[in-house]
Amino acid sequence: MQVGLSHRLTQAAIALTAIGLAGFAAPAQADTVRVTVAYYSDQTEPYFKKMAEAFEKANPGSSIKIEMVNWDTLQQKLQTDIAGGTNADLAIIGTRWLLDFVKDDMAEPLEGYMAPSFKGRFIGAFLAPGQIGGKTYGLPIAASARALYYDKTALTKAGFPNGPKTWNDVIAASKKIKADGAYGFGMQGKEIETDIYWYYSLWTNGGDVVGKDGKSAFNSPAGIKAATLYKSMIDQGLTQPGVTNYSREDVQNLFKQGRVKMVISAPFLAKQIKKEAPTLQYGIAPVPAGTGPATYAVTDSMVMFKNSKAKATAWKFLDYLFTKEPRVGFTAGEGFLPTTKEEATAPQFQDPDTKAFVALLPNARFAPTVTGWEDTAKAVSDAMQSVYLGKAKPAEALKAAAVIADQALGK
Amino acid sequence: MPRTVFGRPLTPWLLILPSFALALFIICYPLYNIVFQSAHEVSRFGLIKGFCGLDNFRKVFADPIFIASLWRTLWWTLGVVGGTVLVSVPVALTLNQDFYGRGVARVIVMLPWSVSLTMTAIVWRWAFNDEYGMVNVSLQRLGLISSPVHWLATSTTAFPVMILVGILVSVPFTVTIFLGGLSSVPVDIYEAARIDGASAWFQFRKLTLPLLRPFINMAIVLNVIYVFNSFPIIWVMTQGGPSNSTHILVTYLYERGFRLGKPGEAAAVSLVMLAMLLCFTAIYLKIQPREGSQA
Repeated sequence: MQVGLSHRLTQAAIALTAIGLAGFAAPAQADTVRVTVAYYSDQTEPYFKKMAEAFEKANPGSSIKIEMVNWDTLQQKLQTDIAGGTNADLAIIGTRWLLDFVKDDMAEPLEGYMAPSFKGRFIGAFLAPGQIGGKTYGLPIAASARALYYDKTALTKAGFPNGPKTWNDVIAASKKIKADGAYGFGMQGKEIETDIYWYYSLWTNGGDVVGKDGKSAFNSPAGIKAATLYKSMIDQGLTQPGVTNYSREDVQNLFKQGRVKMVISAPFLAKQIKKEAPTLQYGIAPVPAGTGPATYAVTDSMVMFKNSKAKATAWKFLDYLFTKEPRVGFTAGEGFLPTTKEEATAPQFQDPDTKAFVALLPNARFAPTVTGWEDTAKAVSDAMQSVYLGKAKPAEALKAAAVIADQALGK
Repeated sequence: MPRTVFGRPLTPWLLILPSFALALFIICYPLYNIVFQSAHEVSRFGLIKGFCGLDNFRKVFADPIFIASLWRTLWWTLGVVGGTVLVSVPVALTLNQDFYGRGVARVIVMLPWSVSLTMTAIVWRWAFNDEYGMVNVSLQRLGLISSPVHWLATSTTAFPVMILVGILVSVPFTVTIFLGGLSSVPVDIYEAARIDGASAWFQFRKLTLPLLRPFINMAIVLNVIYVFNSFPIIWVMTQGGPSNSTHILVTYLYERGFRLGKPGEAAAVSLVMLAMLLCFTAIYLKIQPREGSQA
């Protein structure tokens, strides 16, 4: 078994190298601030490098080290870093993980560092998700909301020049688009946010994911209505076929290619369209209404680790990142929504696209800060996939998902 | 080699000791860590919350998705390893012949090996895309299908497709083992067989196959270990979905540990996997004939 042995030796060598690298990374000087940053686009790294340089120049003696990670592996990196005691001083995290951070006593409450006016910089709705038990742990580094993108040419032809207002409009428009040989409504049915794509329908039909009692609430008449709506659209051929093979990016690609004429997505899609499909005439409308309006809003947070040895410098850097110029640079570069009041006044955000998204915020739902949100997301995604595939009826799929969600929620 | 008074050479043991100790540490430390985690409640970000005995195992075994993934892992391993060996034997025999362009043919067969598994899986994910994937477009142009097939949308097509991709990426390694084996087979015994009037099929069954057998055995053991633990293909192409219908144990483990934030349960799953592989290897070594040990 020579091959087996040499394979094992290779593994050993890799492990040794990894240990060696970790050894180099561990000893950090007191004024070195390590920042774990998620990769949003090819703009992210240059932006943070630039911020680090500007900060180091203004604060001689301090150094900022940026560590880029892919979103997909971010949680894994944080987990291994924390377990190994080699975590950075600051990190971007999905705000939905914040509760776990606070429960594990790893996040530093930021009130002690803030000048009295600091909180006033933020647009309140975006700061709130980063606050738990009255304390601020996460600052909203990135924010987005969702709206319906539609192909202007196709929707004008179908009789909705300003985009569909309701789900009935979407169905009516899709039928006409289908007759012309394209797909009407792009439906996501795979991977991350499959649940969110269904919540658009759930929320606008008056339902909710988690009730006030902290138990799951999606297994309701509104939930069944919402699931039945999507399933009937799939069955009538008003969506692209084979929805369970389409991730968020896949559906967006179909829209860019002009194969589907409507899709619900975030502000950054507009940026991508301008770059990748400049001839596509798109409009942005609110998420179609059922019994009422709703959209989904989400923030990512910057947190400070409690075990950081350079908290003062780390805070200084945070403070700097949340001043006007750095914020404008980040938000405009990535195609997010402004999270501070000052940056919102910048000319970059006075375009109709951003304004259309900002206008939706009063009806926005955020993911609640409860434990078990990820389990709920997974249970709902699984349920929806069975419904879309016709393997389960909406009522039974939602009932089964509610049982799984209730085991995890609030635990 | 100087021998000690006990009749056993001492130096080899001393020489091997440092690397043995290192290897032992590198194998034992993670193992200890996993066993420790599996017996504790661990938070999403890796903090140990407290001892919980066999709770993690109990939770995992009570999960119908785990049981389904367990069976699917067996099918996955059987399908990929079986398919790989079946494909590799004729490929290796062909590449062992002396023909014009053999070097090029060997390179082409080996090529998938040089690409990272994740990249291969991403390429295949694109190739099996409903609307613009190479596979559907080719089949439509050839007139074999009239409308796009939704390969990865349901497990009935997605799982076989992924097994095929698994076979494709395992073939180069296996062919290499077989080619090594074939090169050690003496040519004159075939000559002798031909003179005795043995048919090609008879030569294959009575000469090639028995001589290749230790190499086939080795290929099976190594491939079972790799394929059983193989993560990228399924994670990249379906993430175990839709509705958990293509999970194997390792993707289930990853989802538990890094998506749902349950490292303790993930550690329990990995121990179950380790136990399964140990059992397989032990049984296999037992039933494998002695001559195989020379490999």
